Amino acid sequence: MYWGGNPAECHPRHFTKYALMPKSKFLPNGRKDRTVVLVDIRETKSVKAADLFLQVRPGKDFELLTILRALLKGHDVGDREIAQTGLDRAVLEDLLSRMKASKFGAIFFGMGLSMTRGKHMNSAALLTLAAELNSFTKFVAMPMRGHGNVTGADVIMRWQTGYPFGISFNRGYPRYNPGEFSTVDVLVRGDTDCAFIIGADPGATMPRPAIEHLARIPTIVLDPHVTHTSRIAKVHITTAPAGIAAPGTAYRMDEIPLPLSPAIDSPYPTDEQVIKQIRAHLEQKPNWLPDSQQTLASQV
Amino acid sequence: MLRIYGGKVFDPANGINGQVKDICIQDGRIVDTTQAATEIDARGLIVFPGGVDVHTHVAGGAINFARAMTPEDHRRTQAFIRSQTRRSGLGGMAPTTFATGYLYAGMGFTTVNEAAVPVLSARHTHEELNDVPIVDKSCLVLMANNEIVMNLMEAGDYERAKHVVAWYLNAAKGYGIKAVNPGGVAAWKWGKDSKELSSPIAGFNSLTPGMIVQQLARIVDDLGLPHPLHLHCNNLGAPGNIATTLDTMKHLEGNRVHMAHSQYHAYGGDGWDTMRSEAAQFAEYFNAHPSMTTDTGAVLFGDTVTITADGPWQHLLYKLTGRKWGNLDVENETGCGIVPYTYKPSNLVNAVQWAVGLELLLLINDPWRVFLTTDHPNGACFWRYPEIIQLLMCADFRNACMAKLPAKIKSRIYLPEITREYSLYEIAIIMSAGPARALGHRQKGNLAVGKDADLVIYREDHDISRMFAQPRYVIKAGEIVIDDGDIRSTPEGREFMVQPEFDPTTEDFLRPLFEDCYTMSFENYPVELDRIENPTIQDCSRVQ
Repeated sequence: MYWGGNPAECHPRHFTKYALMPKSKFLPNGRKDRTVVLVDIRETKSVKAADLFLQVRPGKDFELLTILRALLKGHDVGDREIAQTGLDRAVLEDLLSRMKASKFGAIFFGMGLSMTRGKHMNSAALLTLAAELNSFTKFVAMPMRGHGNVTGADVIMRWQTGYPFGISFNRGYPRYNPGEFSTVDVLVRGDTDCAFIIGADPGATMPRPAIEHLARIPTIVLDPHVTHTSRIAKVHITTAPAGIAAPGTAYRMDEIPLPLSPAIDSPYPTDEQVIKQIRAHLEQKPNWLPDSQQTLASQV
Repeated sequence: MLRIYGGKVFDPANGINGQVKDICIQDGRIVDTTQAATEIDARGLIVFPGGVDVHTHVAGGAINFARAMTPEDHRRTQAFIRSQTRRSGLGGMAPTTFATGYLYAGMGFTTVNEAAVPVLSARHTHEELNDVPIVDKSCLVLMANNEIVMNLMEAGDYERAKHVVAWYLNAAKGYGIKAVNPGGVAAWKWGKDSKELSSPIAGFNSLTPGMIVQQLARIVDDLGLPHPLHLHCNNLGAPGNIATTLDTMKHLEGNRVHMAHSQYHAYGGDGWDTMRSEAAQFAEYFNAHPSMTTDTGAVLFGDTVTITADGPWQHLLYKLTGRKWGNLDVENETGCGIVPYTYKPSNLVNAVQWAVGLELLLLINDPWRVFLTTDHPNGACFWRYPEIIQLLMCADFRNACMAKLPAKIKSRIYLPEITREYSLYEIAIIMSAGPARALGHRQKGNLAVGKDADLVIYREDHDISRMFAQPRYVIKAGEIVIDDGDIRSTPEGREFMVQPEFDPTTEDFLRPLFEDCYTMSFENYPVELDRIENPTIQDCSRVQ
């Protein structure tokens, strides 16, 4: 089941390599042994791959998820509530009976769910639905992440700081508050006097005040390409593209790390080489950090 | 070059019980004499070999998922502020990697064994272990729910299964074999569990958990791995599970086996209302079977987060508590579940669990076979070990704690009748010499000449918990890393692994199966040795 995503265009290998086509011990006929459901606000190219398409009214994902959870628990839901989602009772009941009868269900949700009206509330409702379905059969849910090694950044920030993103080191230790310490918020408030951007193009997606602030301060971009951000940066260092001309590790959406083996050489340095050189130069400067003085207070 | 003089030394591996003795260190090893540049006056202090944790969860996909799930705990916990010698980080229920190294070393532990690693994500585990400073590390590879291995076992192809296990161990750069709820995690893919040793596993015709544990134990011995099969039994956490646990031990009679976190496997009763301790039954059987070792997985009251490859159990815990639940299925290899949990003294089930952990440590006669763990972070966080040591060493303190539990508890536990108190010598065994021996680390938990100079120096203190929580010095590989609470230096640790031999045709057998079963290509699967900082390969010698 895909919800708020268009894998046919955004994750083109997902159908063939992972979710729909593979044949296996218990699904010897591959696609024929699976039922595929798509929930989205419009007919995308992914509809062709689905057995069942539910067109939810824009902004009504949270309501639909909540109604599904209520029906699953046998609560009464009024026709009017169902109608506002753009779907009817028979469709939802059919969907739920298929879900409960499945041997193993998987829900993949995209930014059509997580970044539209309701945002993290939508994701929470979907994850709860998946958890509750486990009273009937095995069900899992996983987000379909954006491009690049965003999962890898998440994973490493978590093991080093405890948090995936939206982290401030201002007090010398990691603190987390999305909405306050997220990149976009820091830039919009003008709270930073330098920006160092690797493998991202905020100039293409962020609101105007954030971009204007990037243009005002010394912004340094490491990117293989000329991007919206590199055009407003004070410094753009061209680097070798990861996976094509630079080795490394990328984390798949399910947090499995894959080694990258470059196919070609590049005249440009890798991101890692550039950062190591910058770091080596910084280390020449007098250290402004305090000596270790804080004692290991016993934990409470 | 370092000389420690005048300390009372507790070195059970060499039978040294509190004698005053000088210890000389050169090039990271203990030596006879040295021209010491530095001297430590240890008069009036107590010298132990550095602690060894036989079973903990500090790195990899599961604990990292737990970190993501518990930001509310990070906020209230101890923060490590960056300095010239130290990276920043957070302590708490699921500490960050750098903080994990600081906290373990800060408590005098110098070797840790990460107890559950799926081969598929072993690369991730090693990357995290590289970021755990100071301590030496090793990790165990999950093998009891691997569908390729299970198919071979069902088909009766023991030889091939053995070679495949050896290949996996090489690929993961692991140190030993871990079995978690054999067959039960595979059954969880069907939403089911596997609770009886002789019933077939969901998705298989004839394979049973009993067959898996017997064959894995034999494989571990045939490969000559330094650490025995590390076993998390079926039916964890359930009332009445002592029957399953005893049945498992009977299946393994005569084999080497390490029974992990036995506290979770020694319950009687037939429901949550009637749950009681069966630590005495466990200990009686265990005492009579010297080829077995165990760690307790003791519980302390308070907040923690539970993480285990035992997926079906975690779903049950989620339903029982209504708290957050994370589930990770790892393709055809294993699974994992994460649920935050609070152990409350007022809760009768939790109170029984607290007692069982201590009872096992007190009722098992031979301290060389039972080790101090909390199955971090499941029973409690590792940095609370000093509290357990206090409970073991002071019967009065233990009784005072027991008095705060509900009165109904008395008829369900053995603890009130136990008067035993651990000596410092015995503590040195269960926190260092014993687990080092069980792990097959000949260089660890031992202060003889030629051994690794990992040791910890305590101040004698009537407050046992404070004494063990705040050592005076911690020395790792001959270097003073902790000096009275200060982190002096943060050297990289080593990582131990084994490379058992396997039949060269094993890869030809596995390659086509990879096309069928895995989403990763065969060539990308094994972890490259050069990704690991300071790899140290241990011998595999045939076990007598």
